[in-house]
Amino acid sequence: MVEFGIEFVPRDLYWKTTFYAIQAEKIGCDYLWITDHFNNRNVYISLAIVSAYTEKIKFGPGVTNPYLVHPVATAQAVATLNEIAPGRVTCGLGVGDKTTLQMVNVEQTKPLATIRESVRIIREIVSGETLEMQGEIFKVSGAKLNFKVANPVPIFIGAQGPKMLALAAEIGDGVLINASHPIDVENAIKFIREGAEKTGKKLSDLSISAYTSFSIASDYEKAIKAVVPVVAYIVAGSPEMILERHGVSVELASKIRDAIVHGQWKVAFSLVDNNMVEAFSICGTPETCIEKMDKLVKVGVSQIVAGSPIGPNMRKSINVIAAEVFPHFKEMIGERKK
Amino acid sequence: MAMEKIARKIPVSLWSEASEKLIDSILNSPNAGKMPSDLAKTILYYWQRDQLATEVGLQRLLEASMILDPEKTISLMEELGLPEIVAMLKETQR
Repeated sequence: MVEFGIEFVPRDLYWKTTFYAIQAEKIGCDYLWITDHFNNRNVYISLAIVSAYTEKIKFGPGVTNPYLVHPVATAQAVATLNEIAPGRVTCGLGVGDKTTLQMVNVEQTKPLATIRESVRIIREIVSGETLEMQGEIFKVSGAKLNFKVANPVPIFIGAQGPKMLALAAEIGDGVLINASHPIDVENAIKFIREGAEKTGKKLSDLSISAYTSFSIASDYEKAIKAVVPVVAYIVAGSPEMILERHGVSVELASKIRDAIVHGQWKVAFSLVDNNMVEAFSICGTPETCIEKMDKLVKVGVSQIVAGSPIGPNMRKSINVIAAEVFPHFKEMIGERKK
Repeated sequence: MAMEKIARKIPVSLWSEASEKLIDSILNSPNAGKMPSDLAKTILYYWQRDQLATEVGLQRLLEASMILDPEKTISLMEELGLPEIVAMLKETQR
């Protein structure tokens, strides 16, 4: 079975994000992920408002990071949300966005140990345990919530590199693969399988999500135009190995990165070519998006997350997903509410 | 009160179209930041309950749209062929 998620960036006014969240629930999205960057609106306040206006959609930070937010604070936040929306809360956790963390002089040190310990802290605190932990990164002495949490909060780990993917499978309830291309996702699933096998899990025990950069519109050119800025950032931040896999010039990626660093957005975006868009997004008309989504399902994902920008016009693009994309996947996902 | 009277003048046959146009206008308005928070929450309440294409829903959408972009709102009502409403909206601006 494949599920659908949608990601919102709370750059928009709170009521717009909430409006789109209600719309996402109405069309039958299973998950809503809201990004967590200190320079946007607060993720938990955004989610709290969304929870008040929705009834079924599952939601959570997508993703928060333990460098800026201590895992006990994350545990407290998701536990509180779980009281407002019982059984609907998930916790997406990752190492965070390097550029944003650099603004506040925070380094992503020892990412694997940091994520491993954070998951333990969040899971144990949410389950009502009194936590004693002398970890490599975090020291916790007798931490416990003063209230009970009725439902478990699944932890999804955002990952891209081989070791983090394996760790995510080993300790997480779900993996959010930061990729849009079937080749990247297929490659990631190899490492996920390795991690799962370490703890005797099967792939089917995990929610395996492709967290994509997504742009859909009936007008192909408009869909491309909307996704170019996002692709520019992805290319700028991608490791050489990934760039080479897709035949993207490392030199060109470096030029894009320089242009972004210097605030030369027009230059950066003008250097994005069709190959980059194809490699790092699901983008175009419903037909082109469905073709790629089909491939993602075939390589083994159980959730496709339509991430930023969704499309040139958020409301219209969500309606296009409902009218054109969901019916295609109807057999795999059961009857969806129109 | 004024918007309540104005919304009542929109023919039922145009509720859906008027609602769609007003929602688009509000969401894409460059003045979206002017939206009063209480009004935004009321609109979300009606949206969740599928009531934005009803008389009460339209009343709130009209109210919001007039705060954000009065000229565009009037022009939308012109497009819908509702001269009486156009006149009433213009009157609220005096």
